[in-house]
Amino acid sequence: MKNTKLLAIVLYSLPIPVILMSLFTGPSEMASTSSIFAYFKDFLISGTAGKAIDFQTIQAILFEVRLPRILLAFLVGGALSVSGNSLQAIFRNPLVSPYVLGLSSGAAFGAALALAWAFIPVQLSAFLFGLLAVAFSYFAARKHKSLSIVSLILSGVIVTGIFTALLTVVQFLSDPFKLQSIVHWTMGNLHNASWKLFNASAFPVLAGLIILFMMRWRLNVLALGDEEALTSGINPVRNKLIVLVAATLASSAAVSVAGIIGLYGLIVPHMVRMMVGPDNRQSTLLNFLFGGMFLLIIDDFSRTIAGFEIPVGVITMLIGAPFFLYLMKKTNIGWEQ
Amino acid sequence: MGAVNTAVSIQNLSFSYEKKLVLHEASADIEAFRLTVILGKNGSGKSTLLRIIAGLLPYKHGNINVAGTELKQMSLHHRARTFGFLGQKHKAVFPFTVEQVVLTGRAGFINFVPEKKDYELADKALQKVNILELKNRIYTELSGGEQQLVMIARVLAQEPQILLLDEPTTHLDFNNQITFMKLLKEFTFNKLTVIAVLHDPNMAFLYGDDFLFVKEGKLIRPKATVNPWDTEFLQSVYGHNLQAIPHANRALIVPDLQQEIQHD
Repeated sequence: MKNTKLLAIVLYSLPIPVILMSLFTGPSEMASTSSIFAYFKDFLISGTAGKAIDFQTIQAILFEVRLPRILLAFLVGGALSVSGNSLQAIFRNPLVSPYVLGLSSGAAFGAALALAWAFIPVQLSAFLFGLLAVAFSYFAARKHKSLSIVSLILSGVIVTGIFTALLTVVQFLSDPFKLQSIVHWTMGNLHNASWKLFNASAFPVLAGLIILFMMRWRLNVLALGDEEALTSGINPVRNKLIVLVAATLASSAAVSVAGIIGLYGLIVPHMVRMMVGPDNRQSTLLNFLFGGMFLLIIDDFSRTIAGFEIPVGVITMLIGAPFFLYLMKKTNIGWEQ
Repeated sequence: MGAVNTAVSIQNLSFSYEKKLVLHEASADIEAFRLTVILGKNGSGKSTLLRIIAGLLPYKHGNINVAGTELKQMSLHHRARTFGFLGQKHKAVFPFTVEQVVLTGRAGFINFVPEKKDYELADKALQKVNILELKNRIYTELSGGEQQLVMIARVLAQEPQILLLDEPTTHLDFNNQITFMKLLKEFTFNKLTVIAVLHDPNMAFLYGDDFLFVKEGKLIRPKATVNPWDTEFLQSVYGHNLQAIPHANRALIVPDLQQEIQHD
């Protein structure tokens, strides 16, 4: 118990140094930590701005390039993690992620459509088609006002199939340059980050996350089962719908600006659960902090480790896949209810 | 005895799944502060009846009256304050602690997160079933018997007036069945009404106060002139030749082997 508390305190305080560290991480020599220190040293000693470096450029790199990217990475990572955690609770299955209801393929199709024929902004199109895909899965699975989790997952599989097929059609019809940007989008990356993208995604992400945060304890009740929730005075269908809508809103907005960041929303909730246990009252906020921080660290690597950028989605997928298999072997939790 | 205090009054209740009629104009009054056992064959509709009362299955035909209010008209809140429901066996997915599980019984009365009062009620409920020491243990790591005790504590934390239990002892071993039945009996002394579906008539006759039988869609009781363990009556319910062995003013029911063999 004491260890958990200590760990939680560490997790609560870690994001700030990680954000600061990320601010000084990047390919530009000019905005490295040492040169900025040198700048301030010059400033303090001589009272004049250092000649060696151009403050304007540093400012531009730090606050126009890196800061929006850092905040966007944090927001996207946090949104996927909190959504994944909430969906795992209401589906009563720890192997569920925000993509399970067709969100990723819907968003990919939406993005491809906009990239190919540019009728509305790419992000908006991805966002709307992501929502559409989930709504489609939800209504396809709904029967007599009740909602079976298994049929919801199955209709998610079907919807994913439909949108993947449609995506292939769009890819087939678009010219090679557009095809390249479509493929690039689906890989998931943050290098387009800007204040504009951050501002556009912040509202739906935060709106969804605030709702999930308010529902955090109720997730424990829903995780116990429908009958248990209903007989203790909570309407499971309505509450699950609220969680589903909030999680979809947040993760669809995240996917629309970052592309498909594979397995992230599935893995992070597990990591957090391993660290602090399954109580969603505590783990909801920690999923945001840890999920945001972890994606930020991965993104730092992706933009510094090689001479070119490795898409974040590729890295999360490569880290996530073995972890997922390990979880599947270790936890003998399948579909039996 | 004084006036009879009715906890739940069922009148002309009919219920069907798709096209299969399960209950047909069933009526019965269930007395307060007693352990009422609902018995009957598998598939007779005894669990259905309990689940209707718990609000898990909506009913269209008939009336269920609880302390002057029609069940259908009760809000979820009102229902949670009146009834506590415990299913056969709960399958847990996440390794919550016992305390976290018991707290969820308070769900209907908590807006966002549980408060001090809810923690106190959870402790009190654990005390009532004598498992306060399990409070910080992981629910999924407990034995089946302990898990069932946690689930009953969870329902008690809800502070209901009537407990509805659907075959609560089915998955318990002999020892835990006795612990559990004794506990139910104790609850009735503390002003709780307990309605339990059991499939073992012996456990029922040993600990129950009232007995209600579901047969062909109706709720029946033995005639006032005979005991509930009257063999002729039980044979009409269960359809086998049975024998009653007197035990402590009551009786145990066993199949009548001699009769059975003659029939073969």
